[in-house]
Amino acid sequence: MGNNRKWVQIAIFAIIVAVGALTIASNLFANNEKPSVGGKAPHFTLKGMDGATYELSDLKGKAVVVNFWGTFCEPCRYEMPAIQRQFDKWDKNKVAFLGVNLGESKVTVANFIEQYKVSFPILLDDNEEIRKRYGVTQYPTTFFIGPDGIISDIHKGVMDDAIIEQRLAAITQ
Amino acid sequence: MIHNTKCECGHQNHTGTILCESCGKPLADDSGTAPLEMRYDGVARRSQKENPGWLDRIWNFFSSVRNAIYMIVITLIASALGTIYPQENTFLNIDPSVYYKETYGILGHIYYLLGLSHTFESWWFITLLFMIGTSLVICSLDRVLPLYRALSKQQIRKHFHFILRQKVSFQEALPAGKAGAPAPSEEAWIEQAAAALKARRYRVHREGTALLAEKHRFSRWGPYVNHIGLIIFLAAVLMRNIPGWHMDQHLAFPEGQPVKIPETNYYLKNEKFTIEFYEESEMSEEFRDRGQQVPKRFETKAVLYRCTADCDDPGKPPVLEEVHRDDIIVNEPMEYNGLLAYQFDFEQNPMLLSVKPSLKDKRTGEVYGSFELSMSRPAESYKVGDYTLQLKAYFPEFGLDASGTPITLSNQPKAPAFVFSITGPGLDPTGEPYIYFPRQIDKQTFRQDTLNGALAEKLELSVGSMDDVGISEFVSYLNIRVDRALPYIWVGSAIFMIGVIMGFYWHHRRIWLRIDDGVLSLGAHTNKNWFGLRKEVAEVLNKTGYSIEPKQLDREGVRK
Amino acid sequence: MSSSSFLLTAFIIYNIAFLGFVISVAGRKFAVDDPAAYSRRWGNISLGLTVAGFLAHVVFFFTRWAEAGHIPTSNMYEFMTFLGMMTTLAFIVLYLIYRAAVLGIFALPISVIIIAYASVFPREVQPLIPALQSYWLKIHVTTAALGEAFFAVGFAAGILYLLQAVDFSAKDKASRREQRGVEFTLFTLLTVISFVVAVFGFNAAGYHASFSNEVTYVDSNKVEQTVTQTVEYVLPPIFKPHEGQLIEMKPFFGMTDAPFEAPSWMEGSNAGRKLNTVVWSLLLGTLLYALLRLVLRKSLGAALQPLTKGMDNEDVDEIGYRSIAIGYPIFTLGALIFAMIWAHEAWGRFWGWDPKEVWALIVWLFYAAYLHLRLSRGWQGKKSAWLSVIGFLIVMFTLIGVNLIIAGLHSYAGV
Repeated sequence: MGNNRKWVQIAIFAIIVAVGALTIASNLFANNEKPSVGGKAPHFTLKGMDGATYELSDLKGKAVVVNFWGTFCEPCRYEMPAIQRQFDKWDKNKVAFLGVNLGESKVTVANFIEQYKVSFPILLDDNEEIRKRYGVTQYPTTFFIGPDGIISDIHKGVMDDAIIEQRLAAITQ
Repeated sequence: MIHNTKCECGHQNHTGTILCESCGKPLADDSGTAPLEMRYDGVARRSQKENPGWLDRIWNFFSSVRNAIYMIVITLIASALGTIYPQENTFLNIDPSVYYKETYGILGHIYYLLGLSHTFESWWFITLLFMIGTSLVICSLDRVLPLYRALSKQQIRKHFHFILRQKVSFQEALPAGKAGAPAPSEEAWIEQAAAALKARRYRVHREGTALLAEKHRFSRWGPYVNHIGLIIFLAAVLMRNIPGWHMDQHLAFPEGQPVKIPETNYYLKNEKFTIEFYEESEMSEEFRDRGQQVPKRFETKAVLYRCTADCDDPGKPPVLEEVHRDDIIVNEPMEYNGLLAYQFDFEQNPMLLSVKPSLKDKRTGEVYGSFELSMSRPAESYKVGDYTLQLKAYFPEFGLDASGTPITLSNQPKAPAFVFSITGPGLDPTGEPYIYFPRQIDKQTFRQDTLNGALAEKLELSVGSMDDVGISEFVSYLNIRVDRALPYIWVGSAIFMIGVIMGFYWHHRRIWLRIDDGVLSLGAHTNKNWFGLRKEVAEVLNKTGYSIEPKQLDREGVRK
Repeated sequence: MSSSSFLLTAFIIYNIAFLGFVISVAGRKFAVDDPAAYSRRWGNISLGLTVAGFLAHVVFFFTRWAEAGHIPTSNMYEFMTFLGMMTTLAFIVLYLIYRAAVLGIFALPISVIIIAYASVFPREVQPLIPALQSYWLKIHVTTAALGEAFFAVGFAAGILYLLQAVDFSAKDKASRREQRGVEFTLFTLLTVISFVVAVFGFNAAGYHASFSNEVTYVDSNKVEQTVTQTVEYVLPPIFKPHEGQLIEMKPFFGMTDAPFEAPSWMEGSNAGRKLNTVVWSLLLGTLLYALLRLVLRKSLGAALQPLTKGMDNEDVDEIGYRSIAIGYPIFTLGALIFAMIWAHEAWGRFWGWDPKEVWALIVWLFYAAYLHLRLSRGWQGKKSAWLSVIGFLIVMFTLIGVNLIIAGLHSYAGV
């Protein structure tokens, strides 16, 4: 009985450890439904105003600024020129800027782009699915994602040039 | 060191055996008079080693009932702490790092910092549950096998010390016959006793003048069955972490338009929401005084669609195919393919969905045509008769910013305004601007006719009647869920109930007796309910010629 | 006859049955001939009375069902009276097994106190909100109550055991601690009784006071709203609501305004009134306790000890254990499993860590610990009795405290 027993014990423990590791792992990683700083940026695929399809994974290797905004949100309108300036300033091979519009109609967004002279890609989150996936509850919210796909900063509220520069400096070393 | 575990009856026992597996004689404490420790019938529970290895140490940790109790108590206390302040998951939209500090002050902030604001999702709570699960597995395995061994091969003729040191025991000469009849022989008495025991549903085994009567052995397996139930239950809870096995979303569905269910390919449309309130007469006086409306019943007529094409194209509307429809009321969800939709809440929030305005000649009243104008997804251009209306700008809630530029105040169609560029007969080929406010009140507030200038005298865009207006009166809040682990939860619970009923509502009873030189020695044991056992043994004895009170059988109580 | 008269009948009969059990135990010393037969006879009479009271209670239950149009278990009043009924039933079951008249002396008062406490709450029939319109209401609540009723009888057996086993004349540290524990438990019961008597008393005397205070909350449009609410007091206000304004108050002992105010950290406009009630209960409980001590000239435990004769200590221990062993599966089935099924149907998730659910789990875990601890010799007897006392206090907190203090999906108290 002795030897047999030892193997049974080991087998049982092995199963338990495996299940335990699975549990803890999935609890620590998958359960964070809201992405947070230090966590992986959730994937998305969205169509842009230019008709092209944008996938976050395509931008791996570059720092990415994802700005959630709407034309109805005053601070979003206010910070748009600053974001545009920063877009012009940084090397496009190193930094990508994406504006994610929150479910507004194309014509509204088009007018805004023309009025504010926005040239960086504006994506349409038609069903607000990506907003929910990113856990965005107030506008504007901007995610600064490093070249490795990890969220380096989540800024809630209006930004200015200095804020954007500071955060980009942190992820473009 | 060699431990001699051979009993005087000749049987070789395992190391650590307390009562001989064969005759029951206590191997160690034979000179005592205290009642015997009958756990697992005194069988060695596990091979005792001199130097337990690390594997044995972990095994022993989880096998200990004392540690299990500690785990239960810690879980209990942790759970209580988790109810002091509302948990994070009760809110849909807060920022925990500031909420607790703001609402409950410094204590609240400490609560948040300690992780107690999400106690039941925290890694240490889950670890606790997991440890309890492990303990369940190991505790049970460690005990059920020796118990099964002990109970399946029981000796009938037990040692005197075993019998008389049972908690219920009795020793007296065989009773004299009734009123002059000769005393029954040993054989005759045992027959009587066996019959009386069988009448009480005991299984009787005999060996000469020794007898073992046993009933309800199955109740001993109760705890192990209920532990299995708990293990299945906990495993099912863990399985929810498998991707695709669990989803839980709260979504708003205004009437009349399909809304996409995120992370799925489904759209759900609230076709109609109805609500009934209790009549004044049906309500109690107190409620009437409050002036509150108490909902009696509310229901969403829901239609479920699957998107079959153009699902991700923001320019084109998705092609939807209806797959299911149902009426959802509280307590009765809609179910389709594992997807469940529960009626959660509602809000009376009248909202404009679409209008069907007609383009008319202002002077003659001739109607050129009409078109469907959606508030959420207006098209880029509309053809009405010979005219083309190109949508230049759309403001769901029209307003003016600080510098007087038109902007929209929100994304809700609370005061919609459309700016068209109209081309057609009699108009500038580059297009003439026309601003259209579907709501009459906005038309007046923002002076639509003044803004449109000359064009307002030629053309009119307006809605004919309320039939041409699509309004959503209510927003229905539904809880959309997927939970594939659910069947196993119920299975685990059912098995737990069976185990616990087996274990608590029946009791395993055994009676050993032997007659030596006309003297009856009797011992009895049960895992619970000694009162009932004593009563039953007394009844059997009284039926076979004795006359005793149940209390006399209690070894421990005898001296009181 | 309206339903409430049946309840009153049951209440009175329970009290008479209680006296019968007292006679059965205490009167033994007067029955020179055959004390055993005397006890048996009086025990049977009292059992008969208990059953009669129970039947009256059942009639109350069904009459009210007819009046209300739904099963009467949907608010605090209805549920508590139902719990009282189940406690009597659990006692009858245990009595039939063990024939222990002395148990009746302690179990029936529990039932009586529960019914009295229930009567404090609003009795009106209220229409059921959609979430409660399910046949699960009948199944979950009734089964859970039956399980808890057995725990209540276990509690009574525990108190009985302690009164038997604690040495009230010993002076050593351990004994003193035990004596204090027993006194405290009895004091808690006195506080509950005082609460009920106070409310009924002041109500009958027509006492009334009311305050208004402002409550700020955020409405569905995320706008902060301030509303003025009136708080009605039945007991003379010692604590008025935080920043409450006096509307009217009958003078009490010359007081025409509340001397104290509820602290601001107590949430809700009713916090002041609830604090006031608790303070009154404690004051009166203390007063009652002091009075009893004066009259009896010994601790309450010592005074009650003579009433606990008539059953072997070990058997009382077994009765306590058996009650909990019988109640545990029923409680699991009703309070956890049926609750999970109903929650799944109504709210879409079988478990949400709602405070009421968590406290039901805490009760379940506590009794699981109790049952496991009993496997060890050292934990039978006194320790087991203490556990059954604490366990039932946790049950009461789950039923009352969670409903009234901690809010959540579950607060249907109607108070």
